[in-house]
Amino acid sequence: MVFNSLDFAVFFLAFLGLYRLLPHRGQNWLLVAASYYFYASWDWRFLALLIVSTLTAYACGVLLGRFEDEKRRRLVLFAGLGVHLALLGFFKYFGFFAENLRALLGLAGLRADGFTLQVLLPVGISFYTFIAMSYVIDVYRRQTGPCRSLVDVAAFIGFFPTLLAGPLVRASSLLRQIREPRAPTGAQAAEGAWLLLWGYFKKMFVADNLAHVVAQVYAPDASPGGLAVVLATVAFAFQIYGDFSGYSDIARGASKLIGIELMVNFRFPYFVRTPQEFWTHWHISLSEWLRDYVFLPLSFAFSRRLDGVRWLGLRDDVWIYAAATLVTMLLAGLWHGAAWTFVLWGAYQGALLVGFRVLALRTRRKQKPPPGGWVFEWGHAPAALVMFTLTCYGWLMFRADSLAQIAVLTGRIFTAFEPSQAVLRAVGLPLLLYAGPLVAIHAAEARRGSLETVAGWPRAARYSVYVALVYAIVLFGDFQGSDFIYFQF
Amino acid sequence: MRNKAALQSNAVLLCAVVLVQFGLIEAGYRLKGGSEAAPEFQSLFTPDPVLGYRLKPGATARLTTAEFDSRITINQAGVRDREIEPKAPGERRLVVLGDSLVMSVQVSLEETFVARLEQRLNASAIPPATYRVINAGVQGYGPVEEYLFHRDVTSALQPDVVILGLYPGNDAVEAAATAFRLREGGTPRQADDGLSARQRFTQWRRRMIRKSVVLQVARLRVTTALDRFGWRPEIDPPLRTYLADAPPEIERGVAVARDAVARLAALTESQGARLVVVLLPARFQVDDGDYARLKEIVGRSGKALDRDLATERFATALAGLDVPVLDVLPPLREAARISDVYMQSTAHFTPFGHDALATILERRLRDAGLVPGPGR
Repeated sequence: MVFNSLDFAVFFLAFLGLYRLLPHRGQNWLLVAASYYFYASWDWRFLALLIVSTLTAYACGVLLGRFEDEKRRRLVLFAGLGVHLALLGFFKYFGFFAENLRALLGLAGLRADGFTLQVLLPVGISFYTFIAMSYVIDVYRRQTGPCRSLVDVAAFIGFFPTLLAGPLVRASSLLRQIREPRAPTGAQAAEGAWLLLWGYFKKMFVADNLAHVVAQVYAPDASPGGLAVVLATVAFAFQIYGDFSGYSDIARGASKLIGIELMVNFRFPYFVRTPQEFWTHWHISLSEWLRDYVFLPLSFAFSRRLDGVRWLGLRDDVWIYAAATLVTMLLAGLWHGAAWTFVLWGAYQGALLVGFRVLALRTRRKQKPPPGGWVFEWGHAPAALVMFTLTCYGWLMFRADSLAQIAVLTGRIFTAFEPSQAVLRAVGLPLLLYAGPLVAIHAAEARRGSLETVAGWPRAARYSVYVALVYAIVLFGDFQGSDFIYFQF
Repeated sequence: MRNKAALQSNAVLLCAVVLVQFGLIEAGYRLKGGSEAAPEFQSLFTPDPVLGYRLKPGATARLTTAEFDSRITINQAGVRDREIEPKAPGERRLVVLGDSLVMSVQVSLEETFVARLEQRLNASAIPPATYRVINAGVQGYGPVEEYLFHRDVTSALQPDVVILGLYPGNDAVEAAATAFRLREGGTPRQADDGLSARQRFTQWRRRMIRKSVVLQVARLRVTTALDRFGWRPEIDPPLRTYLADAPPEIERGVAVARDAVARLAALTESQGARLVVVLLPARFQVDDGDYARLKEIVGRSGKALDRDLATERFATALAGLDVPVLDVLPPLREAARISDVYMQSTAHFTPFGHDALATILERRLRDAGLVPGPGR
């Protein structure tokens, strides 16, 4: 069951009707039942994984709350993380590592056929295992209290709006709301309706229409010219943004309708000027997760080893930042998928972050957040354009099927640009038509630095946007109900 | 009170925005072309007191979509063909009547099965014999209009053979709706006579949808979504011709079609010509994937789609008329194994489909003794 299906519409309306009738505890039971039904509609066998993840996190939370001894607490932490990493490792990475090991052994003249095993990737596993792990870590760190109610923990980890593709919610936010009685306000309902409309527009109008254009250029047997590669990569930038941020918006909108607030996961990421800004505007929940649970512990660990070093004229803090960032972004790449293209994309993102940090130090440019919050100004446009270009090259790696295809497509850009009207018509025009309205609205939002910009417009303008979005979805949207890209992660 | 006024004001503003944007999109669709509702395409037609409309002599239009790009020219005789010269000695003339499957605006004139049939017949003709095959198909016509069109327009072309391309896919429905044209005077039955309020609303809704490109696209989108999730409340009228328990209007439509064919047979015979009927299959009758999709959709309504039933219905109805009926379905299915016979975006023939159909027709016409040649 995908968000962009009639099945989901009926499921959600029925859920909403029942939810409004029930008291708080009943609502939580209903949340668990609905979430498990939602997940089982993909493949009921994977429900077992979700249950194992939930029971593990719950048990770890209870034990961590009970134990005072640091050694035992650490043991519980490692056990909890171990179970989740084992689930993730087996179901997501077994095939990848086995294949590479077999290839490696093959180079040494050894055969290793025993490693062959077809493992199906359970949808959303990267998301709910990360959510469960964050709960265990937060309880271990005493940043959140252990939850005694299994139903509440199950509702938190299995929460259906975020179950398949995030945002990666934290216990301090979502579990707290689940444990408290809640009733949606009128303002929440209005915001929720807007987010649903905006999310469906991004998914069905922008992402799914651009997907057809991108697929033609990135087809394994295609030999596109450089201009086609450039335009299709830009189209993919908007496809993946529309797809993923559309999912997040729908998840946030649906949650608001039941009185639950989720964090903002995207803030017009293509208007930023630096890689650092990009990662505070793109998939924000993953960035924060990686920062809190990977980057900061790594920085701490590296600081003990690199304390006081000064290499190539750079101080120890730069080296610590570089080492922690590169490892974190490699893991981020691997999180997106078990393929070398994602590893390369992660390394590229890490290199951008480190490179910009060093550049900023060399040019003594201080990055200070503006006092009134992040706002796009037209003077930022050249830097934003450079950053967008760098981001798009990352998307080329991300979208390519293999390292060889990355090399071929990169080569085509520089050696066979082949501009033509046919390419402009076939790729450029759809890009303009499908991404143009999205960019226009985001430009207005970025200028104010607020995602609530449209809501503040005069009534006629606001209604024009709402109605135009409905027309765009109904008349030009893709009604094939295609899956969201991030489900595979 | 203030709340009520604000609510009313919001509702009025919202309606105004909806209507203004609707108008803008409708205008965009019509001006952009690529749609049969575009003014350029509509300029091919002119009102006709008997037929409702007919092709306008001398009109031209270009139709461009993602799948095809074709130019359509209507000759001075009012059909989509090159100009028709006076009948020459030794010339054997065939007129092909039908609907959009015959007119074939999706391909160039030279690619139509009518033109290819003419090429094939001439290629094997022994001089001084020549063949002239005339495309007299008109978009949207049913059996009733096809008969009247021949009576009023194409019989003057002095055909030796009249080929009527019937399309069982929707001809029963269309014949039932236009039976009034066969009556003396041809005035339509009052659309609302004896209808319930719900039926009247349905009729009004259908009329509105036919008038607007936006509504047609919206309906297509909605039905696509409903089909995908098995929520279609009713089966499309043309598909009802393929149901074992077809509603009465289908049987009535088949009877009207039979009446029109009988009149056409009598007319052609009185003019010394022969009539032959060709049953042109619907896409899903040939395309297995399309059939599986529709079968599933119809199955969800508790009905069973019988792939060949409409063709059989027409063949049975026409059996007593002493008119040769050619079923081209089996050889078209064979051809579909080689390449696509029908287009993806419309249920009309591809250039390959036209070529295959021309080959089949040439053989069948020779077999039936309607044209002399090696196949006889």
